[in-house]
Amino acid sequence: MRYGGEGRARLLLIILIVTSLFLITLDLRGVKILDGVRSGTQNVLAPFQKAGTTVVSPFRNFFGDVTHLGRTRNQIEKLKAENAKLRSKLLQRKNADGELLQLKSVLDLSGRANYKVIAARVISQGSSTSFSQTVTIDIGTSSGVRPNMTVLSGEGLVGVVKESYAHSALIMLATDPDFKVGVRIAGSQQIGILSGGGSKRASLQLLDNQSIVKVGDILLARGSTHNRPFVPGVPVGVISAVDSSAGSIAQSATVMLYPNFSALGIVSVVLSAGKNNPGDALVPAASAPSPVPTVTVYATPSPTASTK
Amino acid sequence: MLLRQFSISTLIFLLIFFIQESLINQLRLPGGGFSLPLLIALTWAALSTPTVGALTGFISGFFMDLSQSSSGAMGHWTLIMILACYAVAYLGFGNDNARGNPVTNIFLVSSASVVTLVLFVITGLLLGVPVGGFTRVLLTLLGNGIWALLVTPLILPIITRLHSVLFGNQAHI
Repeated sequence: MRYGGEGRARLLLIILIVTSLFLITLDLRGVKILDGVRSGTQNVLAPFQKAGTTVVSPFRNFFGDVTHLGRTRNQIEKLKAENAKLRSKLLQRKNADGELLQLKSVLDLSGRANYKVIAARVISQGSSTSFSQTVTIDIGTSSGVRPNMTVLSGEGLVGVVKESYAHSALIMLATDPDFKVGVRIAGSQQIGILSGGGSKRASLQLLDNQSIVKVGDILLARGSTHNRPFVPGVPVGVISAVDSSAGSIAQSATVMLYPNFSALGIVSVVLSAGKNNPGDALVPAASAPSPVPTVTVYATPSPTASTK
Repeated sequence: MLLRQFSISTLIFLLIFFIQESLINQLRLPGGGFSLPLLIALTWAALSTPTVGALTGFISGFFMDLSQSSSGAMGHWTLIMILACYAVAYLGFGNDNARGNPVTNIFLVSSASVVTLVLFVITGLLLGVPVGGFTRVLLTLLGNGIWALLVTPLILPIITRLHSVLFGNQAHI
């Protein structure tokens, strides 16, 4: 290139840059053909992602488990000794049992609110380099999934359908910085707007400064017009800290979202909600305190131990 | 780049894109994981001429734009990758001492991957792409930098071999 072809190389670079700028302009102007290319790619990718899920499922949580090794080392050693014979069988059943549990809890939740839902398996997680928090599920328009539908787990609100393809859909998680949902506090019915914060902690902005919130208050989705994108009554999270700075226009708080986003396996998409608003019916039951057993030990002198 | 080389490179990057989307994205790696198309494209560019580097950036960037988890506009990654790969190829071009040294290449690719992400964030902010809080962006950049340092030594021999098969003995490490 430096031996005579520098001008040609620069021309090629300019052509490539102009092409990319042309693509950006088309996309920002909402040209449909580019959406078609992306959805076509996703349709091609979906079977490979499903196959990939099967391949990587034994290793999926390996790296996460390594970071918690210190805490669980003793427990792991104990389990190894006790379950050596059953380990291989357990490994095979572990994923299936976990998914079954998630499916049961999400169906319980939607059943109580009369939501019509369809269960889905999470087949891919968004790349960190995209700086957005998304997952892909294995159902799409062929199963009735459309953009702006609420997505639930057994614990509560997971997110909203962002894009829907033939056999898969992209879900924007409630942890996404761009995610916003209107919420109300169970009981007091005060309303506010919850925004994703990139982690399990979200921020709540109350609309009324006169209202008083406290740590432990439970937030439910307020619902949207025609139940899209959000159906009413879905548990969202619990207030973990209140910002009580004087002089602020509206009160704000930190909210701990209910779902475990790092272990999403089975979710459900709400196709339609019941005619009646479930109100506070979906508020999670407070976990009952587990009794602590008391053991009294009486020391008795051993008959063989004597001082001479 | 001849048409044959361009076509084979496209197929290679298509395969890498499939591996990233089907396998690596599902591993839930700590620190945000890594982007295989990004690292391989930068490694490929580090071994190439600036012209080939720019074309490599275009191919890989286009595939990265096709990812359903890509938050930017279509063409955003293409633009960033063209510039990044061209710059990496330009830095190494003509300097056989630097190009033939694996350690230099590893550090060049790792630092270039972080710079590329920073560039993506900055241009993303200009285009209105939500990128999250400052701390999260910083942690993601740090995580990607560490992963790049770990992964690049593993892929470098394979990419070097592939590159020399496709483009002749232009680079040997």
